[in-house]
Parts: sequence; structure tokens; C-alpha cells
Amino acid sequence: MLLPLDMLRAGEWAEVEEVSGQPGWVGRLAELGIRQGCRLQIVQPGSPCLLNISGCRLCLRPGECSQILVRPVDGVQAAS
Amino acid sequence: MLTKTVTVALVGNPNAGKTTLFNALSGLRQRVGNYPGVTVELKKGSFTAPGGIPIDLIDLPGTYSLAARSPDEMVAVDLLLGRRPEEPRPDVVLSIVDATNLDRHLYLTSQLLDLGEPVVLAVNMVDAAEAQGIKVDCPRLAQEMGIPVIPIQANKGIGLDALTAALLAAAQAGRSPRGVAFPVAFEKEVAALQTEVGTEVPGFLTRRLLLDVGGYTEQWLVAKQGKELREQLDAARKRLADAGIPVPAVEARTRFGWVRPVVAAAVTKPAVRAVTWTDRLDKVLTHRVWGTLVFLGLMFLVFESIFLWAKPLMEMIDGVRQVSAKWVEGTMSPGPLRGLLSDGIIKGVGSVLVFLPQIMILFGFIAVLEDCGYMARAAFLMDRLMSKCGLSGKSFIPLLSSVACAVPGVMSTRVIENRRDRLATIMVAPLMSCSARLPVYVLLIATFLPVASSDRPDGFPWWVPGLTLFAMYMLGFILAPIIALLLKRTLLKGATPVFVMELPAYKRPTVRGVLRRMMDAGYAFVRRAGSVILWSMILIWVMLYFPYSDAAGVNYDDRIAAVEKKKDTAEEEAKALETAGQEVPEEIQKAITDAEEERNAINGEWKRNSYMGRVGRFLEPAFEPLGWDWRIGMAAIASFPAREVFVGMLGMVYDLGDEPGEGGSALPDTLRKEWTADPARGRYAVVVALSVMVFVALCLQCASTLAVIHRETKGWAWPAFTFAYMTTLAYAGAFVTFQVGRLIVNATG
Repeated sequence: MLLPLDMLRAGEWAEVEEVSGQPGWVGRLAELGIRQGCRLQIVQPGSPCLLNISGCRLCLRPGECSQILVRPVDGVQAAS
Repeated sequence: MLTKTVTVALVGNPNAGKTTLFNALSGLRQRVGNYPGVTVELKKGSFTAPGGIPIDLIDLPGTYSLAARSPDEMVAVDLLLGRRPEEPRPDVVLSIVDATNLDRHLYLTSQLLDLGEPVVLAVNMVDAAEAQGIKVDCPRLAQEMGIPVIPIQANKGIGLDALTAALLAAAQAGRSPRGVAFPVAFEKEVAALQTEVGTEVPGFLTRRLLLDVGGYTEQWLVAKQGKELREQLDAARKRLADAGIPVPAVEARTRFGWVRPVVAAAVTKPAVRAVTWTDRLDKVLTHRVWGTLVFLGLMFLVFESIFLWAKPLMEMIDGVRQVSAKWVEGTMSPGPLRGLLSDGIIKGVGSVLVFLPQIMILFGFIAVLEDCGYMARAAFLMDRLMSKCGLSGKSFIPLLSSVACAVPGVMSTRVIENRRDRLATIMVAPLMSCSARLPVYVLLIATFLPVASSDRPDGFPWWVPGLTLFAMYMLGFILAPIIALLLKRTLLKGATPVFVMELPAYKRPTVRGVLRRMMDAGYAFVRRAGSVILWSMILIWVMLYFPYSDAAGVNYDDRIAAVEKKKDTAEEEAKALETAGQEVPEEIQKAITDAEEERNAINGEWKRNSYMGRVGRFLEPAFEPLGWDWRIGMAAIASFPAREVFVGMLGMVYDLGDEPGEGGSALPDTLRKEWTADPARGRYAVVVALSVMVFVALCLQCASTLAVIHRETKGWAWPAFTFAYMTTLAYAGAFVTFQVGRLIVNATG
């Protein structure tokens, strides 16, 4: 099941399936670690939301989050 | 060969500890390099390696990637490639990464491997990583990556000798590493493009040209070589996309594909990430309610402590100022030179220098908040508010640094990629109450809104001074987003930009780092006091001093000297009688007070008739609705080059010739006496003080800020606009404050 990132709830883990949008923006997110295949956790949903990506905290706005499609996975952080 | 200077470029992600390492390596031998045409300031430091080999260290701005989007970001890339005329090509690139977050940071390192220069990797914060159960096998990492890898703890200075040795060895060997292999089809396109753009474009830039869609390399080369290049680029990218190698995704895919096995081989991580202090703190500090409360509480605490801590130091500086003024007045004969030295320079510039402790304390707080990582949390909390006015949390950091000074604040808007957002942020940054406004607030609050004490029974409860100061700062914090919103709705229309920001892990700020920031701020302030402020003060003094004779042609100086003499004789007589044990007759006491009054009257007449006074009285109708007399109005006008002048000018214009140090003739007492004695405005002294503070809070009285806005926006239109709107706003704000305040005072009797 694919969801836009802003649909996840606090504490949920997910794997990024697709990042869409302008190429510059996609490249920017990839530099920051949000790219296909990476695991992330929603620390705090809302505007802006707070993400945990391999121990690193990023914040994004819901508008941007909805361009990131993710597949929810179970609790534990897998080795990336 | 051995004595040749080795140039090292320091590159790393923001928050990798780059500045800490730079300071640890180069100590105090630092300078800032400016580059024409761009707003980047690069710090350069030098140190001597064991064996006497000098090393020049260049600190490049923190970045996640070498994909340059703007001319500013291009400076770093050009410098690394040896394409800047100001600097030689670095002999070694020093890549610093955070051990707790290697996967992410090695992305930039892998780009550095493409430069064709020796690269040394410094793995920072190995202690913090170990505390989280992350172990980095540096020899193994070196083997996997093919470059020297040194573990360090920059904040404790551990591993720096090994790092220096590795840098020298790499410079001597001069062997550049092999870059990460991209798909063959991609390399073919790069080779084809290379023949197109010519050999003067380095291979590294040709790759960036293909990879960075809409990036700076593309803009630059298309502008240089014509539209055909863009068509060829588009065709090449389309061919690659059809072959399943979409640009720019291919870069992230390839580089992270290289990083993953490297990290897997050399790093052992616990299966479940330990809950760190950062996680626990963030639970509270990024919380919508608690976080906001903590933020507001923290800000209040900062302003309150500025008052408390600086007081003894300020009194000390003020003492020195008064003693030296007295000394000059005692040793020199009356005349223009003595006046200039004692009234213009010592009293004028001195009354500005008194605020040095406060400015250093404020910068100290900001350094602590920035270094420990709290600033990013504040930006996170404020993003909700900022997005409502069409800006992002990123605009918040420049605004917060403008609380220290708008000049670095405006410069730090460079992190905002969107041009409209950047302009809107620049326009409102000077609304933030900078440290130069602090002296005005502090003086007026201490004078008119003090805490009740035995000296000041008319005072206020303990929280009033801190709260008033806080309110002055909030004025900027509240108005800036509103003005930004208006700008974004009108002049700078555009979509809300994308926003992504990293929140770094919390770190303990180093004492040295904080002290350095405080010293730098103090030095900059003193230097300013010695230039712009000094010249303004001299000009003001001249305008207040001349013409120095009255209508009858008698010099005011001589008239004052005559009165002083009368007073002195009367005083001597009184003293003689006192020592003789006799009572001083009333006539003599009256003679003393009469002489004093006469002297003050002469002084007042002199100032009213001076050029400054004439202009001021001419303009007085304009100041009237704000509740100001000509002296306040002229102080406001005179401080347009630098707002610090305000306090200094008040010091001069309200100086009634009392000998300094005599019976506490400090500026606050004189101000209070004068303002409350005014027949028309006496009742409203507190309201007048507030109106002055609001004016200063909202007005752009700073030539340096205008200059930096000119530099950043590359034109005079924006600085002129900022100046115009802020002056209007300040006048309106002061007007409303006085008129409303007057009604309240009248109503409450």
C-alpha cells in the first residue's frame, strides 16, 4: 500500500517508494537522504512535520510530504 | 618542496563540526576573505605543522552537495577546482564527516573524490557515535574508500596531530583518488558533452552540467555558449532517461549505492537506535505548546539577564569615561579643542562604548543558542507562523541573527534559495531589534521605567523593565512577518517555496567558541565606535558648538567661565566659613544655586542657538505629534548613519555642564529631570520614552545595513525602499504610541 508521507501518524515507520516533483527538489531531497528505498519515521506530524532518517532529523511541510510516496513498515528500524 | 605552503580546503555538511575543527587547527590566526561579485565570506587560517611546514586552511561554507545552484555556491566549487584568481588550487581537500551520520555525510565526500585532488577524510565526533553504540573502523573505511581516514574529536582537540600528518603526506604524495563509477552510458554522455563545451571546462563541471538540472553550471555555460547547448543537454538527459538512468536521480542512486557497502563494511551499528538525549529534549523543545513556551521563556530570560549581568561592568566603563572627561576639563583651558575632546569624543563616544558589555553578553547568548543546536528548533517552531506569511522557517534564522545585528542577518539570507523569499526576508530583517538599539532601550527603561527601590520610590514592580525590553523586541518579531506577508502579497508575489531543514543533534557549546564570538562582536562594536560613530559625534558636536558666541558677540565659553568663577568664589567662601565652624549665610548658598542655574541657562541658550538647535527648532512641529522636543528629534535625525549615536547625542545635548562625577550627574538623572520638568510634556515622560523606543525599534538607522542590502540585492532600489517604508513605519508607530499613551495618562489622571 502506498501513502503520501503526510498520511502517516506519529512514530510510524515507512520506506520511501517514490519522490516526485521538480528535478531540483528531488535532487535536493536525495542529498538530504530522502530517496527511494530509505526508511524514515514520523517523529511529529503536522505543519511542518518532523522526520527521523537514519538518526537525522529533517522537517518538511505537508505540501512537500504529499509528493513523497511511502510504504508503511513495522516498527523496528532496519539496517539501511 | 618541504617549505612550500600546503593549501588545504575544509569541506563538510552543516553541523559536521567544520567550524570547530577550523578553530582547533588554526587557533587565532584567522582572517576573512571577500570575493568580488558574490556575498560569500570564506575564513582562512594558517598554522605550522610539526616539521615547520606552513599550512593554509580555507573554510568553505557548509554544504550538503557540490551541486551549485547559485553564484555563491559556485564559489566553493570554483575554489576547489583552482578557478578563483584569489586563491591557489588546494593541495588537499579535507572532508569532515559526522561519525553518527556517516551514510549521509559520505555523499558529499564521494563528490569530492571526483575533483581530481587528494582527499583526506576526518571522521568527527567518534565519541558521540560510540555513546550511541556506533563503532567506526577507520582503517577499514580507508581501505574501502581508497583515501586516508582519521578519527577525530574536534571539540576536544583529539586526533589533530594524526590529521595534520595525514594532510601533509597526502599533499606530498599528490595522488588523487578514483571517483565513484557512474553507469557507462552516463560516462559516454559526459565525454560527448566535454567535446562540446571544450577543454577549458574541467571534467568535474561537465559532469555537474549534465547532472544538475537547472543548476548554476547549466545557467552559466548556456549563457556563455548559447541555446544549442541547452538543446543538447535536454537531448542527452532524455536519452539517459530512456535508458533507465534518469538525471538527477542517477547521482543519488550511484553515490548512495557506493556509500552503502562502504559503511556496511566499516561501521557497526546497534540494531535499534538508542534513544538519545536529542530525542528526549526534542520531545519537549519541538512540542507545539511546551516548545513555544520554552522559547518565549528563554527569550525573556536572555533579555532579563542582559540587564542584570551587564550593570556592574557598565558602571565601571562609565566611571572611566567620567574620570577621563574630568581630567581633560581639568588640564585644558576652555575652548573648541577642549569641548571637542571632552564633550564630543569622550562623552559622546564614551556613552556609546558603555554598552559594550551588553552587546557581548547578547552575542554570547546567541552563540550558545546557535552552537547547541537550539536555533534550528526555534526555526522549526516558527515555521508554522512563517508559512502563514508566505515565508519558511529558513527565513527565521536570519531574522533571529538580526537580533544581534542586521548585517550578518541579511548576509545569512543566502541559505534561502527562493529569490522572492530572500528579498522579503532581507526587507524585514532590519525590523528585528539589533544590539545597537539595546543602548537606547536600556537607557530609557532604566531612566523612566525602573524597579521601585529606596532611590526610586516612583518605580515599578520588578518585572516591568524586562517586560518592556521584551516588548520592544516583540514589536519587530510581530511586525516583520506582517510586513513580509504584505510584500509577498504585492511586490514579491509567488508560490510558497519548498522547505526542508535539518535539525542537528544537540551539542555542548565550547567555551572557546562562545568567547570567540563575543570577542569578535565586541571588537566590531569598538571599531564601529571608532569610525562611523566617532565621525557622527564630531559632526554633531560641531553643530552643537557653533556659533559659540551669543547675539552680543560674547563667547558662551567665556560667559560660562565667568559664572563658574562666581560659583567657585561663593563655594570657597562657604567652605571657609564651614571649616571655621560658622553657619553659611543664606546669600552665599543662594549665590551658589543661582550661579548653577545661570550656567545651565547659558548652556541651554547656547544649544538652542547652535546650528543643530536652529534646525531642530525649525523642525519641531514635525516632532510635536510624537511628543518629542527638538533635542530628541535631532538625536533621532542625527542617528540615521548609526543608531548608537542616539544615546551619545542625548549625552551631549542634555549635558548641562555639570562637572562629571559630581553628585551623580549621569545621563539618566539629567534626562529624568529635564523630561519631567518640561511644562508641556512633563506628565507624559514615560510615554515620550516609549514613543522614542518604538521609533528606534522600527527605524532603519544604520548605514551598514543599507550598504549590505545594496550589496546583496545588487542595486539601490531595495535599500531605498526598505529605508522609506521603515522610516514611515517608525514615525507612525511613535505617533500612535504617544497619542494613545497620552490618552491613557489623561484618563488615569
